[in-house]
Amino acid sequence: MKLNTGELVTGALVISALSGFVLAYQYEPATPFISTVAMEATIPFGPFWRSLHFWASQLFLLLLFFHIYKTISWPLDHQRTTHKRHWTVIALTVPMAIFALFTGYVLRYDATGQDACMIAEHLLLKVPLMGHALNRFLIAASDEGINRVYAVHILLTFLLWGFGTWYHLKRVTLKWPAFMSLLIALCAFCALIEAPIDLPGQNVALIKGPWFFLGVQELLRYLPPFIAGVLYPMIPIAAITALPWLPKPRVGLWITGLWGLSYGYLTLVASLR
Amino acid sequence: MTRRQLLTKAGKWAVGLGLFFPLYSFIMKKRYRPPIQIQIKEALKPGQFLMEKEFALFQTTKGPLAVSRRCTHLGCIVNYHETGKIFLCPCHQSKFHWDGRYISGPAKKDLYRLKVRPLEGGKGFLVEIPRGKA
Repeated sequence: MKLNTGELVTGALVISALSGFVLAYQYEPATPFISTVAMEATIPFGPFWRSLHFWASQLFLLLLFFHIYKTISWPLDHQRTTHKRHWTVIALTVPMAIFALFTGYVLRYDATGQDACMIAEHLLLKVPLMGHALNRFLIAASDEGINRVYAVHILLTFLLWGFGTWYHLKRVTLKWPAFMSLLIALCAFCALIEAPIDLPGQNVALIKGPWFFLGVQELLRYLPPFIAGVLYPMIPIAAITALPWLPKPRVGLWITGLWGLSYGYLTLVASLR
Repeated sequence: MTRRQLLTKAGKWAVGLGLFFPLYSFIMKKRYRPPIQIQIKEALKPGQFLMEKEFALFQTTKGPLAVSRRCTHLGCIVNYHETGKIFLCPCHQSKFHWDGRYISGPAKKDLYRLKVRPLEGGKGFLVEIPRGKA
Protein backbone atom coordinates (compact mmCIF):
# COMPACT_ATOMS: atom_id res chain seq x y z
CA MET A 1 0.00 0.00 0.00
CA LYS A 2 1.50 3.32 -1.07
CA LEU A 3 0.49 6.39 0.90
CA ASN A 4 1.10 9.81 -0.53
CA THR A 5 1.64 12.80 1.72
CA GLY A 6 -1.33 14.74 0.34
CA GLU A 7 -3.67 11.93 1.39
CA LEU A 8 -2.17 11.79 4.86
CA VAL A 9 -2.50 15.57 5.32
CA THR A 10 -6.16 15.38 4.31
CA GLY A 11 -6.73 12.40 6.58
CA ALA A 12 -5.20 14.16 9.58
CA LEU A 13 -7.31 17.26 8.85
CA VAL A 14 -10.51 15.21 8.63
CA ILE A 15 -9.76 13.45 11.95
CA SER A 16 -8.79 16.74 13.61
CA ALA A 17 -11.93 18.51 12.38
CA LEU A 18 -14.32 15.70 13.36
CA SER A 19 -12.79 15.26 16.82
CA GLY A 20 -12.93 19.07 17.20
CA PHE A 21 -16.66 19.07 16.53
CA VAL A 22 -17.06 16.36 19.16
CA LEU A 23 -15.21 18.55 21.70
CA ALA A 24 -17.39 21.54 20.80
CA TYR A 25 -20.40 19.72 22.33
CA GLN A 26 -18.84 20.09 25.78
CA TYR A 27 -16.70 23.18 25.37
CA GLU A 28 -17.87 26.55 26.71
CA PRO A 29 -16.01 29.68 25.58
CA ALA A 30 -17.40 31.58 28.61
CA THR A 31 -15.58 29.22 30.98
CA PRO A 32 -12.84 27.83 28.75
CA PHE A 33 -10.43 26.46 31.31
CA ILE A 34 -13.11 24.94 33.53
CA SER A 35 -14.80 23.22 30.60
CA THR A 36 -11.45 21.87 29.37
CA VAL A 37 -10.60 20.52 32.80
CA ALA A 38 -14.12 19.07 33.05
CA MET A 39 -13.47 17.17 29.82
CA GLU A 40 -10.28 15.78 31.33
CA ALA A 41 -11.82 14.92 34.67
CA THR A 42 -15.53 14.15 34.45
CA ILE A 43 -16.75 13.64 30.89
CA PRO A 44 -16.61 10.07 29.57
CA PHE A 45 -13.82 9.69 26.99
CA GLY A 46 -12.98 13.40 27.45
CA PRO A 47 -9.22 12.80 27.66
CA PHE A 48 -9.38 10.57 24.58
CA TRP A 49 -11.29 13.07 22.40
CA ARG A 50 -9.11 15.96 23.55
CA SER A 51 -6.00 13.93 22.90
CA LEU A 52 -7.25 12.83 19.48
CA HIS A 53 -8.01 16.43 18.51
CA PHE A 54 -4.68 17.68 19.84
CA TRP A 55 -2.44 15.04 18.28
CA ALA A 56 -4.32 14.83 14.97
CA SER A 57 -3.87 18.60 14.64
CA GLN A 58 -0.17 18.42 15.49
CA LEU A 59 0.22 15.63 12.97
CA PHE A 60 -1.72 17.63 10.39
CA LEU A 61 0.70 20.56 10.68
CA LEU A 62 3.78 18.34 10.58
CA LEU A 63 2.45 16.42 7.58
CA LEU A 64 1.60 19.71 5.88
CA PHE A 65 5.21 20.88 6.30
CA PHE A 66 6.41 17.52 4.98
CA HIS A 67 3.99 17.76 2.05
CA ILE A 68 5.35 21.20 1.14
CA TYR A 69 8.89 19.89 1.42
CA LYS A 70 8.03 17.02 -0.96
CA THR A 71 6.31 19.28 -3.49
CA ILE A 72 8.44 22.41 -3.22
CA SER A 73 9.95 21.91 -6.68
CA TRP A 74 6.47 21.83 -8.28
CA PRO A 75 6.32 25.61 -8.98
CA LEU A 76 9.74 25.42 -10.64
CA ASP A 77 8.32 23.07 -13.30
CA HIS A 78 4.82 24.54 -13.63
CA GLN A 79 5.01 28.03 -14.99
CA ARG A 80 1.47 28.49 -16.37
CA THR A 81 -0.41 31.35 -14.68
CA THR A 82 -3.23 29.06 -13.47
CA HIS A 83 -0.66 26.77 -11.86
CA LYS A 84 1.09 29.71 -10.23
CA ARG A 85 -2.20 31.00 -8.84
CA HIS A 86 -3.08 27.54 -7.55
CA TRP A 87 0.25 27.28 -5.72
CA THR A 88 -0.09 30.72 -4.11
CA VAL A 89 -3.65 30.11 -2.89
CA ILE A 90 -2.72 26.71 -1.49
CA ALA A 91 0.46 28.07 0.13
CA LEU A 92 -1.76 30.51 2.05
CA THR A 93 -3.33 27.56 3.86
CA VAL A 94 -0.02 27.18 5.76
CA PRO A 95 -0.41 30.35 7.88
CA MET A 96 -4.10 29.40 8.27
CA ALA A 97 -3.09 25.98 9.58
CA ILE A 98 -0.57 27.50 11.99
CA PHE A 99 -3.19 29.94 13.25
CA ALA A 100 -5.73 27.13 13.62
CA LEU A 101 -3.29 25.25 15.83
CA PHE A 102 -2.45 28.39 17.71
CA THR A 103 -6.10 29.25 18.43
CA GLY A 104 -6.62 25.68 19.60
CA TYR A 105 -3.71 26.12 21.97
CA VAL A 106 -5.30 29.33 23.31
CA LEU A 107 -8.76 27.78 23.69
CA ARG A 108 -7.77 25.42 26.47
CA TYR A 109 -6.98 28.65 28.37
CA ASP A 110 -4.51 27.37 30.90
CA ALA A 111 -1.68 29.69 32.02
CA THR A 112 0.31 29.23 28.80
CA GLY A 113 -2.82 29.54 26.65
CA GLN A 114 -3.78 32.84 28.31
CA ASP A 115 -0.31 34.31 27.95
CA ALA A 116 -0.05 33.13 24.33
CA CYS A 117 -3.38 34.81 23.62
CA MET A 118 -2.23 38.12 25.11
CA ILE A 119 1.06 37.96 23.21
CA ALA A 120 -0.75 37.34 19.92
CA GLU A 121 -3.14 40.23 20.60
CA HIS A 122 -0.28 42.61 21.39
CA LEU A 123 1.64 41.47 18.30
CA LEU A 124 -1.37 42.01 16.03
CA LEU A 125 -1.82 45.51 17.47
CA LYS A 126 1.77 46.25 16.45
CA VAL A 127 0.90 45.78 12.76
CA PRO A 128 0.82 49.28 11.23
CA LEU A 129 -2.55 50.61 10.00
CA MET A 130 -4.41 47.28 10.02
CA GLY A 131 -3.41 46.13 13.52
CA HIS A 132 -6.63 47.16 15.25
CA ALA A 133 -8.89 45.67 12.57
CA LEU A 134 -6.85 42.44 12.45
CA ASN A 135 -7.15 42.12 16.19
CA ARG A 136 -10.92 42.72 16.10
CA PHE A 137 -11.26 40.04 13.41
CA LEU A 138 -8.94 37.42 14.86
CA ILE A 139 -8.55 37.72 18.65
CA ALA A 140 -9.76 40.79 20.63
CA ALA A 141 -9.54 38.77 23.85
CA SER A 142 -8.98 41.81 26.12
CA ASP A 143 -12.42 43.11 25.19
CA GLU A 144 -14.38 40.04 24.16
CA GLY A 145 -12.92 37.11 26.07
CA ILE A 146 -12.13 34.18 23.81
CA ASN A 147 -15.39 34.19 21.82
CA ARG A 148 -13.65 35.40 18.69
CA VAL A 149 -10.71 33.04 19.07
CA TYR A 150 -13.26 30.22 19.20
CA ALA A 151 -15.19 31.55 16.19
CA VAL A 152 -11.97 31.86 14.17
CA HIS A 153 -10.84 28.39 15.23
CA ILE A 154 -14.03 26.90 13.77
CA LEU A 155 -13.95 29.19 10.72
CA LEU A 156 -10.41 28.01 9.94
CA THR A 157 -11.64 24.42 9.88
CA PHE A 158 -14.02 25.35 7.09
CA LEU A 159 -11.38 27.35 5.23
CA LEU A 160 -8.74 24.63 5.45
CA TRP A 161 -11.28 22.00 4.49
CA GLY A 162 -12.58 24.16 1.65
CA PHE A 163 -9.24 25.11 0.15
CA GLY A 164 -7.66 21.73 0.87
CA THR A 165 -10.43 19.63 -0.66
CA TRP A 166 -12.73 21.59 -2.97
CA TYR A 167 -9.91 23.67 -4.44
CA HIS A 168 -6.85 21.46 -4.10
CA LEU A 169 -8.21 17.90 -4.14
CA LYS A 170 -8.99 18.12 -7.82
CA ARG A 171 -5.51 16.65 -8.05
CA VAL A 172 -5.10 14.56 -4.90
CA THR A 173 -7.60 12.13 -3.43
CA LEU A 174 -8.10 10.60 -0.02
CA LYS A 175 -8.59 6.87 -0.26
CA TRP A 176 -9.77 4.55 2.48
CA PRO A 177 -6.44 2.77 3.21
CA ALA A 178 -4.67 6.06 3.94
CA PHE A 179 -7.50 7.37 6.08
CA MET A 180 -8.11 4.17 8.03
CA SER A 181 -4.44 3.55 8.83
CA LEU A 182 -4.11 7.13 10.07
CA LEU A 183 -7.31 6.90 12.12
CA ILE A 184 -6.37 3.61 13.76
CA ALA A 185 -2.78 4.70 14.50
CA LEU A 186 -3.94 8.02 16.00
CA CYS A 187 -6.71 6.42 18.08
CA ALA A 188 -4.28 3.88 19.50
CA PHE A 189 -1.73 6.61 20.29
CA CYS A 190 -4.30 8.94 21.87
CA ALA A 191 -5.86 6.23 24.02
CA LEU A 192 -2.45 6.10 25.75
CA ILE A 193 -1.06 9.65 25.53
CA GLU A 194 -3.03 12.60 26.88
CA ALA A 195 -3.03 16.13 25.48
CA PRO A 196 -1.12 18.55 27.71
CA ILE A 197 -2.71 21.12 30.02
CA ASP A 198 -1.12 23.30 32.75
CA LEU A 199 -2.53 23.23 36.25
CA PRO A 200 -3.41 26.67 37.63
CA GLY A 201 -1.51 28.57 40.29
CA GLN A 202 2.00 27.49 39.45
CA ASN A 203 4.46 30.33 40.01
CA VAL A 204 6.72 29.31 37.14
CA ALA A 205 9.72 31.40 36.11
CA LEU A 206 9.56 30.41 32.44
CA ILE A 207 6.57 29.60 30.25
CA LYS A 208 7.22 28.00 26.89
CA GLY A 209 4.82 28.60 24.01
CA PRO A 210 3.73 25.94 21.53
CA TRP A 211 6.65 24.25 19.73
CA PHE A 212 5.99 26.07 16.45
CA PHE A 213 6.23 29.48 18.17
CA LEU A 214 9.30 28.80 20.34
CA GLY A 215 11.57 30.50 17.79
CA VAL A 216 9.44 33.65 17.77
CA GLN A 217 9.29 33.61 21.57
CA GLU A 218 13.08 33.47 21.72
CA LEU A 219 13.50 36.32 19.22
CA LEU A 220 10.99 38.49 21.12
CA ARG A 221 13.53 38.68 23.94
CA TYR A 222 15.93 40.60 21.73
CA LEU A 223 14.02 42.43 18.99
CA PRO A 224 11.03 44.80 18.96
CA PRO A 225 7.69 42.92 18.79
CA PHE A 226 6.84 44.09 15.26
CA ILE A 227 10.12 42.76 13.82
CA ALA A 228 10.34 39.56 15.86
CA GLY A 229 6.67 38.66 15.97
CA VAL A 230 5.31 39.99 12.67
CA LEU A 231 7.97 40.67 10.00
CA TYR A 232 10.28 37.74 10.69
CA PRO A 233 7.53 35.05 10.59
CA MET A 234 6.16 36.63 7.40
CA ILE A 235 9.40 35.94 5.48
CA PRO A 236 8.83 32.23 4.65
CA ILE A 237 5.11 32.77 4.03
CA ALA A 238 5.87 35.56 1.57
CA ALA A 239 8.67 33.54 -0.06
CA ILE A 240 6.60 30.36 -0.47
CA THR A 241 3.41 32.04 -1.71
CA ALA A 242 5.40 34.15 -4.19
CA LEU A 243 7.60 31.24 -5.28
CA PRO A 244 6.23 30.65 -8.81
CA TRP A 245 6.03 34.40 -9.54
CA LEU A 246 9.68 35.16 -8.72
CA PRO A 247 12.01 35.73 -11.72
CA LYS A 248 14.31 33.15 -10.13
CA PRO A 249 12.14 30.79 -8.03
CA ARG A 250 15.23 29.12 -6.59
CA VAL A 251 15.97 32.35 -4.71
CA GLY A 252 12.66 31.86 -2.89
CA LEU A 253 13.70 28.33 -1.99
CA TRP A 254 17.00 29.58 -0.63
CA ILE A 255 15.31 32.28 1.45
CA THR A 256 12.85 29.73 2.87
CA GLY A 257 15.64 27.24 3.57
CA LEU A 258 17.88 29.77 5.31
CA TRP A 259 14.94 31.11 7.29
CA GLY A 260 14.11 27.52 8.28
CA LEU A 261 17.66 27.02 9.52
CA SER A 262 17.58 30.23 11.56
CA TYR A 263 14.18 29.26 13.00
CA GLY A 264 15.40 25.78 13.84
CA TYR A 265 18.35 27.30 15.71
CA LEU A 266 16.12 29.74 17.65
CA THR A 267 13.71 26.90 18.49
CA LEU A 268 16.60 24.80 19.77
CA VAL A 269 17.90 27.65 21.96
CA ALA A 270 14.39 28.28 23.35
CA SER A 271 13.71 24.62 24.04
CA LEU A 272 17.00 24.22 25.92
CA ARG A 273 16.14 27.03 28.37
CA MET B 1 -12.89 40.64 -22.11
CA THR B 2 -16.48 40.71 -23.42
CA ARG B 3 -19.16 42.96 -21.98
CA ARG B 4 -20.89 39.94 -20.43
CA GLN B 5 -17.69 38.82 -18.72
CA LEU B 6 -17.05 42.33 -17.47
CA LEU B 7 -20.55 42.63 -16.04
CA THR B 8 -20.28 39.19 -14.39
CA LYS B 9 -16.99 40.18 -12.79
CA ALA B 10 -18.36 43.55 -11.68
CA GLY B 11 -21.41 41.77 -10.23
CA LYS B 12 -19.22 39.39 -8.20
CA TRP B 13 -17.17 42.28 -6.85
CA ALA B 14 -20.32 44.21 -6.00
CA VAL B 15 -21.75 41.26 -4.05
CA GLY B 16 -18.40 40.73 -2.32
CA LEU B 17 -17.96 44.37 -1.33
CA GLY B 18 -21.65 44.68 -0.49
CA LEU B 19 -21.25 41.84 2.01
CA PHE B 20 -17.88 43.03 3.28
CA PHE B 21 -19.19 46.27 4.75
CA PRO B 22 -21.97 44.71 6.88
CA LEU B 23 -19.47 42.04 8.02
CA TYR B 24 -16.82 44.65 8.83
CA SER B 25 -19.28 46.84 10.77
CA PHE B 26 -20.67 43.85 12.68
CA ILE B 27 -17.24 42.69 13.76
CA MET B 28 -15.60 46.06 14.43
CA LYS B 29 -18.32 47.33 16.78
CA LYS B 30 -17.02 47.39 20.34
CA ARG B 31 -19.79 47.16 22.90
CA TYR B 32 -19.30 49.41 25.92
CA ARG B 33 -18.38 47.46 28.95
CA PRO B 34 -17.75 49.13 32.33
CA PRO B 35 -14.39 48.57 34.03
CA ILE B 36 -14.15 45.39 36.07
CA GLN B 37 -14.45 46.18 39.78
CA ILE B 38 -12.98 43.73 42.22
CA GLN B 39 -13.75 43.88 45.91
CA ILE B 40 -11.12 42.66 48.30
CA LYS B 41 -12.70 41.96 51.67
CA GLU B 42 -9.51 41.74 53.62
CA ALA B 43 -7.68 44.38 55.65
CA LEU B 44 -3.95 44.72 55.03
CA LYS B 45 -1.35 46.26 57.32
CA PRO B 46 1.52 48.31 55.85
CA GLY B 47 4.07 45.92 54.37
CA GLN B 48 1.47 43.21 53.65
CA PHE B 49 0.33 42.33 50.16
CA LEU B 50 -2.24 40.25 48.34
CA MET B 51 -1.68 38.49 45.03
CA GLU B 52 -4.73 38.36 42.79
CA LYS B 53 -4.90 36.87 39.28
CA GLU B 54 -4.81 40.22 37.48
CA PHE B 55 -3.05 42.47 39.99
CA ALA B 56 -1.02 42.66 43.17
CA LEU B 57 -2.27 44.82 46.03
CA PHE B 58 0.34 46.23 48.40
CA GLN B 59 -0.46 48.16 51.57
CA THR B 60 2.11 50.88 52.15
CA THR B 61 2.44 53.59 54.79
CA LYS B 62 1.09 56.01 52.16
CA GLY B 63 -1.94 53.87 51.34
CA PRO B 64 -2.83 50.93 49.09
CA LEU B 65 -1.07 50.36 45.75
CA ALA B 66 -2.54 48.08 43.07
CA VAL B 67 -0.07 46.96 40.39
CA SER B 68 -1.38 45.23 37.25
CA ARG B 69 0.20 41.83 36.61
CA ARG B 70 -0.04 42.27 32.83
CA CYS B 71 3.48 42.59 31.43
CA THR B 72 3.83 45.81 29.43
CA HIS B 73 5.81 43.94 26.76
CA LEU B 74 3.19 41.54 25.38
CA GLY B 75 0.64 41.05 28.14
CA CYS B 76 1.74 37.85 29.93
CA ILE B 77 0.92 37.51 33.64
CA VAL B 78 4.03 38.38 35.67
CA ASN B 79 4.86 36.34 38.78
CA TYR B 80 5.88 37.89 42.10
CA HIS B 81 9.04 36.61 43.73
CA GLU B 82 8.89 37.60 47.37
CA THR B 83 12.55 36.99 48.15
CA GLY B 84 13.82 39.67 45.79
CA LYS B 85 10.56 41.70 45.85
CA ILE B 86 10.43 41.62 42.08
CA PHE B 87 7.95 40.67 39.37
CA LEU B 88 9.33 38.33 36.70
CA CYS B 89 7.60 37.76 33.37
CA PRO B 90 7.68 34.01 32.53
CA CYS B 91 7.39 34.64 28.78
CA HIS B 92 10.33 36.89 27.93
CA GLN B 93 11.95 37.46 31.33
CA SER B 94 11.22 41.17 31.91
CA LYS B 95 11.76 42.23 35.54
CA PHE B 96 9.99 44.88 37.62
CA HIS B 97 10.26 46.19 41.18
CA TRP B 98 7.45 45.33 43.60
CA ASP B 99 5.76 48.69 42.88
CA GLY B 100 5.79 48.05 39.12
CA ARG B 101 8.87 50.07 38.17
CA TYR B 102 10.75 48.54 35.23
CA ILE B 103 14.15 46.94 35.93
CA SER B 104 15.23 44.96 32.85
CA GLY B 105 14.11 42.92 29.85
CA PRO B 106 12.21 43.70 26.66
CA ALA B 107 9.18 45.38 28.33
CA LYS B 108 10.87 48.83 28.75
CA LYS B 109 7.81 50.29 30.54
CA ASP B 110 6.58 50.17 34.15
CA LEU B 111 3.65 47.90 35.03
CA TYR B 112 0.30 49.73 35.04
CA ARG B 113 -1.04 51.00 38.33
CA LEU B 114 -4.73 50.39 38.87
CA LYS B 115 -7.27 52.57 40.66
CA VAL B 116 -7.75 51.37 44.21
CA ARG B 117 -9.66 52.81 47.15
CA PRO B 118 -10.40 51.52 50.63
CA LEU B 119 -13.91 50.19 51.23
CA GLU B 120 -16.03 52.09 53.72
CA GLY B 121 -15.25 51.04 57.26
CA GLY B 122 -11.67 50.16 56.30
CA LYS B 123 -12.48 46.45 55.84
CA GLY B 124 -11.01 45.95 52.41
CA PHE B 125 -10.47 47.58 49.02
CA LEU B 126 -12.11 48.21 45.67
CA VAL B 127 -9.81 47.78 42.65
CA GLU B 128 -10.81 48.91 39.17
CA ILE B 129 -9.41 47.25 36.05
CA PRO B 130 -10.14 49.17 32.84
CA ARG B 131 -11.28 47.03 29.87
CA GLY B 132 -8.50 46.37 27.42
CA LYS B 133 -5.93 46.41 30.22
CA ALA B 134 -6.94 43.06 31.70
